[in-house]
Amino acid sequence: MIQTIRIGLLLREAVASPYRDLVTRPTGAAVRTRIEATLADSKCLTALLDFSDIELVDLSCADEVVAKLLLTVRTAYFVVLQGLREDHHEAIDHVLTHHRLAVAAVPPGSHSPRLLGWVRADAREAFACISETGPLDVSGLSHGLGWSLCRSRDALGDLTLNRLVRPVGELYYPLQTA
Amino acid sequence: MTRVIEVPTHFDDRSFDSFAAGFGEWPPAEKVLVDARATQWASPYGLIGILTAGQALAEAKREKPLLTVPTADEVKRYWARAGFFNHAAELFELHGKVPRSAATGPSDVLLDVTPVRASEDVHGVVHKISEGASRILHGELGLEMKATLRFSMALSEACQNIVEHAGTGGWVAVQAYTFRRRLGRRVVVIAVSDAGVGFRRSLESAHAKRFGERWGDGAALEAALIQNVSRFRDPGRGQGLAFIKRFLDQWEGKISIRSGTARLSIVPPWDEDVPMSDHLPHFPGSQVQIIIPAQETKGR
Repeated sequence: MIQTIRIGLLLREAVASPYRDLVTRPTGAAVRTRIEATLADSKCLTALLDFSDIELVDLSCADEVVAKLLLTVRTAYFVVLQGLREDHHEAIDHVLTHHRLAVAAVPPGSHSPRLLGWVRADAREAFACISETGPLDVSGLSHGLGWSLCRSRDALGDLTLNRLVRPVGELYYPLQTA
Repeated sequence: MTRVIEVPTHFDDRSFDSFAAGFGEWPPAEKVLVDARATQWASPYGLIGILTAGQALAEAKREKPLLTVPTADEVKRYWARAGFFNHAAELFELHGKVPRSAATGPSDVLLDVTPVRASEDVHGVVHKISEGASRILHGELGLEMKATLRFSMALSEACQNIVEHAGTGGWVAVQAYTFRRRLGRRVVVIAVSDAGVGFRRSLESAHAKRFGERWGDGAALEAALIQNVSRFRDPGRGQGLAFIKRFLDQWEGKISIRSGTARLSIVPPWDEDVPMSDHLPHFPGSQVQIIIPAQETKGR
């Protein structure tokens, strides 16, 4: 089950103005608080944050909304971003890299997510493989990428730690995006 | 006794120090007269510098200073069009005929002189700049379309520094003009100034110890602009200036920050400025200037 959260709607509630720019730390903190409240009332495990109504995301808001949310909800939810434009990617990628965090983002018109932020190269490759082929176990990933079991296990461990795959039994599932 | 401070004929970041020197010790004990009669041109940095001085004097509970407006009609009209006199009238006793501002149609003034006191003001600034910025940055300067959004991000971060660190309000202005002498190209200039505590006092409690005897205005600027530190312990802080530097490097832009008695610049190849100037005349708060030049590949 996915909980879609429209960031534009929360922004309008937070600043009580018609602006579509996600800027300033207090605004970002107010939006994040609303996201957390929404998630607290939800039984869904995946939060799909929809940025499609947003014009500009500055560094401060990227930090307050995305980075701090990931730090806060790290053990509770899977977070996926959608509706991001290229310039949104840049701000979010910058702050997440700074924190050594990563998040999955679904490009417009696609169901296949890409990673923003920082993960080890192997984890990035494993993420792409699972997103493309579907759920895999350690040996399946090893077979798919020609890696040793140990290397595959480490990469999947990284992705699990960053809530970028859903481990169910022996299998690692791609995050739900629709 | 009245202390007369002459506004330089050509008032920009280079001539700013002579303006600052006119005030002597801060805050000056005498009544102040800021004399702009002979001024022929002022950059956004100069205009908001005058307002910052007026604001600092008001906050120091000094007698309301006088400001004689430029004699040249063209100069006066431009200052009016930039919204300068609207704010100056609150901080100075104006002497001389002030024209009514009548801004119509596209202008090189991308953002009027605008006060920044709270986060809501930053929203307003970013919203106001969006249309004009695209016209100038993409249309005139030949920057890619996504440059407009990076530019707005830089503006947002620079203005937030006032709200978060100055401890008082400040000013922002954005303008496009031609850098004839220095560059021979069109540029867009963001100027942000406040009359607040300055970088040294803002960072002192968290970072002074690390610098030991070196600590001062210059070291504080170095910590903020080169090392990207913040007074907050939050590890997400300090990224705004880092991001601004990154995209300015890509566009051969320039950032300089003056605070207290020092000025630190990231100097692009086209400029001959020195990276660090120390022991300058004291001026309250912090003044930031960001210059983005037209891209050479367009042959501008």
